[in-house]
Amino acid sequence: MWSYALKRAGATAVTLWAASVIIFAFIHVIPGDPIYVLLGDTATPDQIDRLRHELGLDQPIVVQYLQWAGHALTGDLGRSIFFQAPVASVIADGAETSILLATMTMVWVVLIGVPIGTIAAVRHGTWLDQGLSGAAMFFASVPTFWVGLYLILIFAATLGWLPSSGYPSIFEGGLGNLRYLLLPSLTLAAPNAALILRLTRASMLDVAREDYVRTARAKGIRPWQVVRRHILRNALLTVVSAFGFTFAALMSEAVVTETVFALPGIGRLVVQSILRRDYPVIQGIILVIVVIYLIINLLVDLAYRLLDPRVELQ
Amino acid sequence: MKSGFGLLARGAAAIVTALFLNAQALVPAHAAGVLREATIGEPPPLDVMVTTADVATVIGRHMFETLYAWDSSYTPQPMLADSDRVEDGGKTIIIKLREGVQFHNGKEMTAKDVVASMERWGKFGARGKLLMGSATSVEATGKYEVTLKLSAPNGAWKNLVSDVNGGLAIYPEEIASKATGQPIDQKDYIGTGPYKFKEWRPNRYVELEKFAGYKPRKEKGDGFAGARVANFDSIRFIPVPDVGTRVSGVQAGDYDYAEMISGDLYDGLSKDKSVQVQRTNAPIFGLFFMNSKEGILKDNFKLRRAIQTALDKSQALRVAFGPQDLWKAEGSIVPKGTPWYSTAGIEAYSPHDAKKAKELAKEAGYTGQPIRLLVSTNYQAHYDEAAVFTKQLAEAGINVQMNVVDWATLLKMRGQADQWDIFVTHHSFFPDPILFTFLNASYPGWWDTPEIQKLRTELVNSSDQTARKATWDKIQALIYEQVPVMKVGDAYTYDIASSKLKDLNPNGPAFWNVSTK
Repeated sequence: MWSYALKRAGATAVTLWAASVIIFAFIHVIPGDPIYVLLGDTATPDQIDRLRHELGLDQPIVVQYLQWAGHALTGDLGRSIFFQAPVASVIADGAETSILLATMTMVWVVLIGVPIGTIAAVRHGTWLDQGLSGAAMFFASVPTFWVGLYLILIFAATLGWLPSSGYPSIFEGGLGNLRYLLLPSLTLAAPNAALILRLTRASMLDVAREDYVRTARAKGIRPWQVVRRHILRNALLTVVSAFGFTFAALMSEAVVTETVFALPGIGRLVVQSILRRDYPVIQGIILVIVVIYLIINLLVDLAYRLLDPRVELQ
Repeated sequence: MKSGFGLLARGAAAIVTALFLNAQALVPAHAAGVLREATIGEPPPLDVMVTTADVATVIGRHMFETLYAWDSSYTPQPMLADSDRVEDGGKTIIIKLREGVQFHNGKEMTAKDVVASMERWGKFGARGKLLMGSATSVEATGKYEVTLKLSAPNGAWKNLVSDVNGGLAIYPEEIASKATGQPIDQKDYIGTGPYKFKEWRPNRYVELEKFAGYKPRKEKGDGFAGARVANFDSIRFIPVPDVGTRVSGVQAGDYDYAEMISGDLYDGLSKDKSVQVQRTNAPIFGLFFMNSKEGILKDNFKLRRAIQTALDKSQALRVAFGPQDLWKAEGSIVPKGTPWYSTAGIEAYSPHDAKKAKELAKEAGYTGQPIRLLVSTNYQAHYDEAAVFTKQLAEAGINVQMNVVDWATLLKMRGQADQWDIFVTHHSFFPDPILFTFLNASYPGWWDTPEIQKLRTELVNSSDQTARKATWDKIQALIYEQVPVMKVGDAYTYDIASSKLKDLNPNGPAFWNVSTK
C-alpha cells in the first residue's frame, strides 16, 4: 500500500508540472490583460504601458513562467493584482466556503440519492420507480440558478426563515453561520442527488442479476438483508467513485450557485479572475484544483480497497 | 454501513432543525449601525486617482475627498477648498484650503499634501493630464494655499477637481509623493472623508468605518457637496453579482441598498412597498465609436452618415433598457437641463430612413464590404444595442459583422486599429464636455481631424462660459457631420433601497447624511 502511494505521488508531481505549464500558457494566450480592467475605460496608452512594465507583464512569457514557477515551488503563489493580497490567502478564504458547501451538499446527495435510488431499484418497474426516476430527471435537468432563485424567493424573501445570500465565516460568527449554506447546498444537491439516485438504481439492478444474489436468495436470507448486504454494498463501488468526482466538481464548478447566492467560493473567484485577467489568482486556483482532483482520485482508489478487500492496489 | 448512514442522517436532521429554529433569531444578525450595500461586483484597488471603475469610485468617495464637489445640479462647490482666485487671464489659479481638516491618520491636511497629490495625479492619474498637462508649476504658497500656474487657461478646471473618479483625491504627502502608476496599497488608503478604510475581505466585502475626526462643512448637504455626516458606524460594500439576488436580498432585509437593477424589474419594484426605487439624476449614454485611423470607415464621413441614417435609436433603447422611464432618445450629447444642452445637428440623430441610407452608402462608394463591429457581452445593453442596429443596417444594405468578445478582450482589441471598424461602449454623465472620451485624440477611435483639433483647443483654453458653449454647439454639429461616434441615447440606471432608509443621495450611492427612519 505504501509503495503504491509513493508511486502515485511521483506521477502526481509530473502531472502537476505539466498542468502548470498548460495553465500558464493558456491563460496568457487569452487576449486582453489586467491593466485595461484595472485602470478603467479612459486610461491612456502610456499609462497602460507604464503600469504593465511596473507589474512585469511586459517580460517574455518564459521569464514570467519561470519566475512564477520558482516562487510556487517555495509555496509562494504570488500576489493578486486586484485584491492586493497574497494569492494563498485569497484562495484559503474561498476554500472555506467551497469545502463547507461541497460537504453539506454531499450530505444531501448521500441522504437523498442513495436511499431513494435503492427504493427505486427494489421496486423497479412499478409506478413508484417511474415516479422517482421521473422526479430525478426533472431535478437533473432544471438549471441551478432557477432552483436557487426560487428557494431564495420562498425561504428568504417571503418566509424570512433563512438568509438570502452571502456567507460570513464560521470562524467569525460560529456554526450558526452554516444556515447561510442551507439553501445553496440544497440547490447544488438537486441535480447531483438526482444523478446519484439514477446511478445507485442502475448499478443495483446490474448487481441484482449476479449469481451470488440468486444464491443468497435461495439460501432464504430475508429480502432486505439481500438488498443491504449483497446488492447495495457491491453496487456502492461504482457510486463511491462518482462521489469523489462529484465532490471535486462541487469544489470548483459551483460557480452558478455561488453567483446566485453571492458566496465567496472558489468557483466564482476563478470566473471573476478570468474575466479580470488576474493571472496570479487564476494560476494559483487552477493549480490548487488540480491538486485537489489528484488527491481525491487517490483517496477514491484507496476507498475501493476499504469497501472491497479483493481490490488490489498496484 | 447502516450505522454510518444512519448517523449521517440523524446528524444532518439535527443540524437542519437547529439552523431553522435559530434562523428567526439569527437572521437580523448584522450589528446595528452597519449599512450593507450590495454592489455589482468586486472592485479593483481603491486608488481612485488611477482607476475610473465605477465600483471603486462608489466606495472610494466615502474615504477620499476632492477640492471641490458637485452639488445636486452638478455645479462644483468647495469641499476641501475654502475659496479660489483666478488671475493672469485664467493662467494662475490660487486655491485657499479649509483649515483644520484631518486625515484618517490624525495628521492635518495642508497645502503640501495637496501639491503632492496634484503632482501624482498629473503624472499617473487617469484624468490628471487634462489639467496638469498644461501646468507649468504647482506650489504651496502658504500653509493653506496652493498656487497652480498653467501655460494656457483651462475653462473646466473646477469640474476637473470635483470628482474622485480618476480624479484629484487628496492623499497625505508621504503617500502621494511615493506613489507610482501602480495602485497604492490598502494600508495607504488614507483620506479625509467621513468614513475610513477598515478591511477588505476578497469576495466577501469591503468595510469602511466612521471617522471620528471628521468635521463636516457648515453648508447643508446637497448632492456630493456641503456637510457630510456619517450616521452609520460602518458601511459594508458586498459584491452580489446576480441582480435577482440583490433584489431579493433587499426585500429579505439582508441588504439595505442594491445597485444597478435591471429594467425588466422596474415596474414591479416601483409598486413594492418594502423597497424604494432610486433613479439616477445623471444618465449614462451608449456610444458606437468609428475607427478614424484605419479601415473602411477611416475618413468616409458619408458612409458613416449613411449608417446613422439607417438607425432607429428608440428601438435599441427599448430593447436594452425596457420601461420608458429608464431611457430617452436624446440627440443632444449632454442632457436637457444642463448648461451644455444643444440642438446643433440633432436632426441627424435617429432618422431611421433605410432608403436614404442606401442612397448615401452608394454615393459613398460602399459596395457591401463587411463592417466589423466589436462588442462585449459583459454589458448586456451594449450587445442588445449592437444586435438591433445590425438588423436595421442590414435592411439598408449595410453589412455589419458582429465580433462578440468579453470586456477585457474588447479593451485590448480596440487599441489595435486593424481589428475593428466600430466598437461599442458607454459614457458616464460629466458636467463639462472636456472630459468626453471622444474628444481625446489618443482614445481608441482616434478622432483628430483638423476641424476638431481647432475646436478642441478653443473649448479647453477659454474660461468664458458663453464662448465655450458656442464652441460646444459647433463641436456637436461636427459630430453629426463627421460621425466619429454615434450616441445611442440617455439611459437612467436605478438602484433600490430598503424603505427604512431616508435622505438618499440624488447623485448616486453616497451614504453620508443617509439615516434610518
